[in-house]
Amino acid sequence: MRRGRSWLLAAVLGAGAAFTVGAAQAVLAQGPAAATQDWKKEFEEICAKTQDAMALPMDELKGLVSRCDKLKPRIEKLDESQRKVYSRRLQVCRDLYQFVIESREKG
Amino acid sequence: MRRWVAFLAVSAVVAGPAIAEQTGAKKRRPLPPEFGRVIINNASEKAGLAPVSFDHWFHRAKYTCRLCHVDIGFAMKAGATGIKAADNQAGFYCGACHNGKLVVDKRKVFESCGKALIGENRAGCLRCHSVGKNVTPMVDFKTFTKDLPVGRFGNGVDWEKAEETGLVKPVDFLEGVSIPRKSFTAQKDFALSPKLQGMPDIIFSHQKHTVWNGCELCHPEIFVGVKKGATKYSMVEIFDGKYCGACHVTVAFPLIDCGRCHARPVQ
Repeated sequence: MRRGRSWLLAAVLGAGAAFTVGAAQAVLAQGPAAATQDWKKEFEEICAKTQDAMALPMDELKGLVSRCDKLKPRIEKLDESQRKVYSRRLQVCRDLYQFVIESREKG
Repeated sequence: MRRWVAFLAVSAVVAGPAIAEQTGAKKRRPLPPEFGRVIINNASEKAGLAPVSFDHWFHRAKYTCRLCHVDIGFAMKAGATGIKAADNQAGFYCGACHNGKLVVDKRKVFESCGKALIGENRAGCLRCHSVGKNVTPMVDFKTFTKDLPVGRFGNGVDWEKAEETGLVKPVDFLEGVSIPRKSFTAQKDFALSPKLQGMPDIIFSHQKHTVWNGCELCHPEIFVGVKKGATKYSMVEIFDGKYCGACHVTVAFPLIDCGRCHARPVQ
């Protein structure tokens, strides 16, 4: 009876450990990919509005500029090819939003 | 009407060489297939290869300027992008399309800087690294442009008309690169009055430009002024590659085609 209990306990502990290791591996494997998608998703959300820039309200334009500034350091940490491409792309859309803000303020 | 056409012709003849002299850029006018050609030599010769000869005409017939210069990230000035083979191999710049996978017009787009191409004799590299080499282009300019509307200068093609009539349908979206966006309402056309008396007004069409460029290709990198009418554009600066000249000296119809912009007859 006692032996049966210890087997059961060992099986439960083993399954628990296996689950923990598996889950940790899954998190580790997903981590960088999730982080990658995270900056790209933010980039796409920000720069998807360039066509509508002229119609956007001022507070939204200012919000987009500030999101660009916040995203920039993350893009600067990417590998060289990605950094070159996405830094320029981000700059181009940031500059357009800033241009619209200034043209409304001074125009 | 006749008077201003004659005036424009005389101005072009008189002002052209004068402007070229001022800017120190007296060059042979390129032949139609050469117009819009860019020589890229950031790393080529250092790597023992010939510089890259890039012809805009073939690419502009298929894609918008915005797709390449915004979404793919090519700078607007030759040599400013700093393209490396490693970038292309990683699927950026030329490699965004030239990846050996993308199919255009039922043909696989060849891979740029692919390891298989490089090989021992680097023969595959010559497809782009062709300056000074005897390379037969894959697409013949004359054959490619024979059914397109004729333009007076540049490539000898009226690209604007070709797009309007659907003879070319430049693609503005590249899967995995471009961001899906709503189509937008273009700003209205407007007229600019030239400083020179008797010169026809310039009719600027935002609509015609946004088809190819979107908003962010021109603003604010090329047209930085935020206050309407505050920036004065001079033909000397434009011939020097500023403002309209950023494209109309190099790729879009050239500045000697005066009547394309100075389009509203003097009242």
